[in-house]
Amino acid sequence: MTVELQHPMKPQQTPEDAARGRFVSGIRSLILNDLANDLKSAYDRRAAPAFAKEHGHEPSTSREAHQALRGDPAFNIYSAMRVQAQKMVWASVAEGVERETERLTAEASAVADFAGSLKLDPSLEVPRNVHAIDVHLMPGSYTRGSDSLEAGAVYDRGLAVFSMGLMGANLDDIGLSMSQYVKQRFPDFAPTRILDTGCTVGHNTLPWKQAYPHAEVIAIDAAPGPLAYASARAKMQGQEVDFRQMCADELAFENESFDIVWSSMFLHELSKKQRASCFKEAYRVLRPGGLMVHMELPPNEQMGAFEGFYLDWDSYYNNEPYYKGYRDEIPRDLCTRAGFAEEDFFEFVVPSVGIYGEQAVTDAAKGDRAEGVSQQTTGRLAEGVMWYGFGASKK
Amino acid sequence: MSEQLRPEDASPSLYDDAGNPRFFADPAMDRFVAVVMNLAQEVWVQEERLIALEEAQQGEASDRPGIDREAKAKEFIERVFAPIREA
Repeated sequence: MTVELQHPMKPQQTPEDAARGRFVSGIRSLILNDLANDLKSAYDRRAAPAFAKEHGHEPSTSREAHQALRGDPAFNIYSAMRVQAQKMVWASVAEGVERETERLTAEASAVADFAGSLKLDPSLEVPRNVHAIDVHLMPGSYTRGSDSLEAGAVYDRGLAVFSMGLMGANLDDIGLSMSQYVKQRFPDFAPTRILDTGCTVGHNTLPWKQAYPHAEVIAIDAAPGPLAYASARAKMQGQEVDFRQMCADELAFENESFDIVWSSMFLHELSKKQRASCFKEAYRVLRPGGLMVHMELPPNEQMGAFEGFYLDWDSYYNNEPYYKGYRDEIPRDLCTRAGFAEEDFFEFVVPSVGIYGEQAVTDAAKGDRAEGVSQQTTGRLAEGVMWYGFGASKK
Repeated sequence: MSEQLRPEDASPSLYDDAGNPRFFADPAMDRFVAVVMNLAQEVWVQEERLIALEEAQQGEASDRPGIDREAKAKEFIERVFAPIREA
């Protein structure tokens, strides 16, 4: 299913737009659930045994699972269909965004005076990995339409189709699940200043403002258009957030000025060097006792070869060049290299609050920390998804 | 405008000469899969238009509940793509 966005910039769909979106969500559901199961079964039955026969051992890494699957009929059909479905996601919303340009601008103007702010930085050099490649096959990437609302609208509407309902009606299931988890796991923690890095349209920023209404929430991104959209979107939902155009690897904030540094689905969009700088910057701006929390794809080191490659697929075929490099890194090392103490590292799996309910999040917060990293539903956008997170507290 | 940036271990053989991913031995198959999906989408769009027309014809007086388009779309997709489940 395609979700209906929860704010006035939601599409005024023609019946044809709605039908196109419904089809794309439906075909993605077939691919990511049914064809994914067929792929696993073909791997077990055919691809892995053939690889073992040739190499003398079963595939033991994501890379070897990829080698084993290349050329398998189930892999070919799954992959070719996933690529096309991804293109169809963006195509299904592009026309509506173009048609509604003026209305979007008017809606944003109507809330311009609401609490919250937007500061763009025209002198900021937008990194190549944000503008020069069509990230996840999104035409024009995050800088489409420059600082207009276009890129944000395409992303927000595209995600509503892409997510098949698994990211919640407001596309905030990740932020909701994780902020509730943090709140319950650290009940005495009372953050007053929160930073979201790489926020795109702020969909996973807002839950932090909801979880800690008295905290000042600042969200940054390198691309100006999605930020302008994010600011309007937050205002429409009555959430006061300050959006600023900035790169997470070079923060214009003072040392020890935040209690939480958060990101969601962001680290895999960075080069290894940028990522290392981001962690150092997060450490620098955190106050003692502060928390760094990242929601991301689970790391390869904790997954089987097939499950690891299943996620790495995007790196090769969905214009996510840094995805695999990120997943090959070890979250604990990323934290300790930036200055966090080994014993202050934590990782966890949170059941999607939208699917499993609040009690399940509470149980996870009080229960076994990293249980389920290797489960098939962890980090995989399919029925029963659970989110992987990690981070560290600063001494 | 899109540059090609690939993971370090991505062999050039994974892509065609324009940089598109290729999966089937015959590259035409990659294109045909996309055509079949587009075609199915167009048929579904027509189907929804037909549903809307039929609902309009029955008029507002009709007390029949609206047709569940999500469920129908799911059935439609499963029916059309049933053969690929045999890959």
